[in-house]
Amino acid sequence: MTALLDIRDLTLSFRGVEGENRVLHGISLNVAKGEKVALVGESGSGKSVTARIILGLLQEQRSTRVSGAVEFDGQDLEAMPAKARHRLRGTDISMIFQDPTSSLNPVYPVDVQFHEVLKRRNPKITRAAARERAADALRDVSIDDAKRVLDSYSFQLSGGMNQRVMIAMALANEPKLLIADEPGTALDVTVQAQTLHLMRDLVERKHTSVLFISHNLGVVREFADRVYVIYKGNIVEEGPTHALFSDPGHPYTRALMAAVPKITGGGIPEIPDRSESFSEPIVVHPATEASS
Amino acid sequence: MRRTFLILASNPMSLFGLFLIGVVVFSAVFADFIAPFPEHRGAVVDFTNFNQPPHWPNIFGTDLVGRDLFSRIIYAYRISLMLGVVVLSIAVPIGVTVGLAAGYLGGWVDFILMRLTDVFLSVPPLVLAMAIMGVLEPTLTNGMLAVTAMWWPWYARLVYNVTRSEAQEGYVLAAQIIGASRLHIMFMEILPNCVPSIVTKMTLDLGFVILIASSLSFLGLGVQAPTPDLGSMVAEGGNYLPDSWWLTVFPSLAILIAVFGFNLVGDALRQVLGSDQ
Amino acid sequence: MSAVDQTAPVFDVRNVSKTFVSGEHRVKALESVSLKVMRGQCLAVVGESGSGKSTLANLLLGIHQPTTGDLYLDGNLLPGHRTLPLRRMIQLVQQNPLSSLNPRRTVGASLRLALDVHDIGDRQGRKERVGALLEEVGLPADFASRYPAALSGGQRQRVAVARALACEPEIVVLDEPTSALDVLVQARVLRMLDELRRRRDLTYVFITHDLGVVRNIADRVAVFEKGRLVEESDTETIFTNPANPYTRRLISAIPIVSDEEETLRRSLMEETNDG
Repeated sequence: MTALLDIRDLTLSFRGVEGENRVLHGISLNVAKGEKVALVGESGSGKSVTARIILGLLQEQRSTRVSGAVEFDGQDLEAMPAKARHRLRGTDISMIFQDPTSSLNPVYPVDVQFHEVLKRRNPKITRAAARERAADALRDVSIDDAKRVLDSYSFQLSGGMNQRVMIAMALANEPKLLIADEPGTALDVTVQAQTLHLMRDLVERKHTSVLFISHNLGVVREFADRVYVIYKGNIVEEGPTHALFSDPGHPYTRALMAAVPKITGGGIPEIPDRSESFSEPIVVHPATEASS
Repeated sequence: MRRTFLILASNPMSLFGLFLIGVVVFSAVFADFIAPFPEHRGAVVDFTNFNQPPHWPNIFGTDLVGRDLFSRIIYAYRISLMLGVVVLSIAVPIGVTVGLAAGYLGGWVDFILMRLTDVFLSVPPLVLAMAIMGVLEPTLTNGMLAVTAMWWPWYARLVYNVTRSEAQEGYVLAAQIIGASRLHIMFMEILPNCVPSIVTKMTLDLGFVILIASSLSFLGLGVQAPTPDLGSMVAEGGNYLPDSWWLTVFPSLAILIAVFGFNLVGDALRQVLGSDQ
Repeated sequence: MSAVDQTAPVFDVRNVSKTFVSGEHRVKALESVSLKVMRGQCLAVVGESGSGKSTLANLLLGIHQPTTGDLYLDGNLLPGHRTLPLRRMIQLVQQNPLSSLNPRRTVGASLRLALDVHDIGDRQGRKERVGALLEEVGLPADFASRYPAALSGGQRQRVAVARALACEPEIVVLDEPTSALDVLVQARVLRMLDELRRRRDLTYVFITHDLGVVRNIADRVAVFEKGRLVEESDTETIFTNPANPYTRRLISAIPIVSDEEETLRRSLMEETNDG
């Protein structure tokens, strides 16, 4: 198993008016080729900043301090010049954000935006060729009337449709790694479930690696092969999805699981929202060969 | 409040602005102690020492009837600031009330009040003030009246826009569901959220009011002699350029300092308070 | 007193429709909905965006008026204009506590408003009552002097609940009250809401899209789809034997975390496929 993304001992601090504020306390995680890995945590846990570091968006800010190693496809992202990092974004690494409708530019039709995306990989691609590629990409996400969608503006499409367009766009350049930050949280549950299945099938077919960032344990369970649980800037538990969900080892993970209201009932248990035990050391479940 | 001040003080430009405002306000308040020739604010004539370039003890020189220019500029600050404060303390409450009522009550109240505001806004401010001053006698009181009349609509517009967006917030709905009166919702719930924008605009405007008042007196429509006024000093001195340069340069610089200072601080406030929300 | 009322509905929605007209467009937000809310019960109103669940809440609160049909409260026709005593009886907790609390007023001032408007208690008594309300929702009394920005999301939502309780209402409409909260915080707020209802004998109209929450807090469930009430039943039945295919779809779309839930969901999906 070779790691496509390998993060080791990553720390991040923000410098503000009130001094330095550390948000990541040395986290390590990796994503293998073709693997779907979830990073799950509550707001303020540090999950979204981790994604931003992988995209190289935080290193360029003056108020942040990053240390540790981020290796992508054998290259050290930290050692890379900003320009080379910039080249990776939208080609080998792409991203899907929380709200599909606001992630698309409302003043350009979908096909123009597809053209821009495809130009990141192939600057000489013509509009017609891009349109053809885009139509194929849309068919991959089960959009049958690709023509109509390509000529539409984002505000003319439903939230679910926009989300599919986003997925198609993110995968159009055949990226090696897809970072999905709370995808579909803004959508209705039935639509969210649909697009999630669609995205899972598609990345499996294309062997794209995914780092899936979410606060929703249920969504993570449906989607990921392997899960990291993050709490206040520390990874507290890691393991294959099934092992972790059927036998959570860390007190924090257990509290999270217990706190989710179950459709089988049983009431809402009394759970502390913070506890000494949440800071216990990481629990690692052994990898199982069958999980892929 | 303390945070706002800390951020202002940490930025060199706004710190400079605060310093300039400090100079202006200090001069205006303590004019009697700072001015070397306090009696020169009135009708004093000294033909032994008239139209002299800067020299000791008249560091900014003297005017055409021999009065100390430095002393007159310091007293002019007092008048300008007073004018600014009076104008804003009348214009702001009117504008704020109009904007709140139109923005929150909506319907025909909105229509009538905002069309009226538009009418005022559509006339160039100086023209409007000149028209008012042309009809009335050109006294200090009428000057303030004229400037006030052209100033409130800007506050009405500003507060109207803020109110319209604040009215969509959940706290307004919550107050309605509780059964709070419209007056309470307008003045106790929405108004506090307009305060940052209003304060920022007021700081910027103090500079502009001084500028407009100076423009009016430059045109001969404002403060009348022998009361010292920056605008009329510049206007008068202009006739004697370039030989008696000090007659225009020092009052102009005085205007610049005041306007610049208020603008720097106002701009910084806009950034600080804007990010606050 | 409450023993007598148990059989009578607090709210009686009779054949209510609501159409919004803007220019050429006519949107039917609710279509001939009839629904009863019993005293002391928690009725969950479930649906996705455009289902009409928020419109129903707005009608109950008097924010909108029904186009046709009538609303009854305790057997009396609810007038279009809500008087203060009527307002006091029906209160609201909104989804986003960041927006629902005025950022420039203290927590105490926000709570005092309800007491002042409804003339509850005397001057000194009101101050004590603000402290008591905060303690009732699990916050220290001295939070009264804080601004919302100094509170966490869960604390803000507790303040929003305290404000609704300050009016001493009989009915509380909860509009997605926990969907903006983290899962641990959500669990604690849900428990608090459940306890409050029992202690104060409140009636809840709980609007949500989260069926996991519904299962654990509601007595009855009303499922809305595109402005229509497609199913209404007690909670147990909705989850074990849902009659409507949309209800089934909704349950099967819910992300779940345990194997037991998986089993339940699978059995529901199989039934759907059979039908």
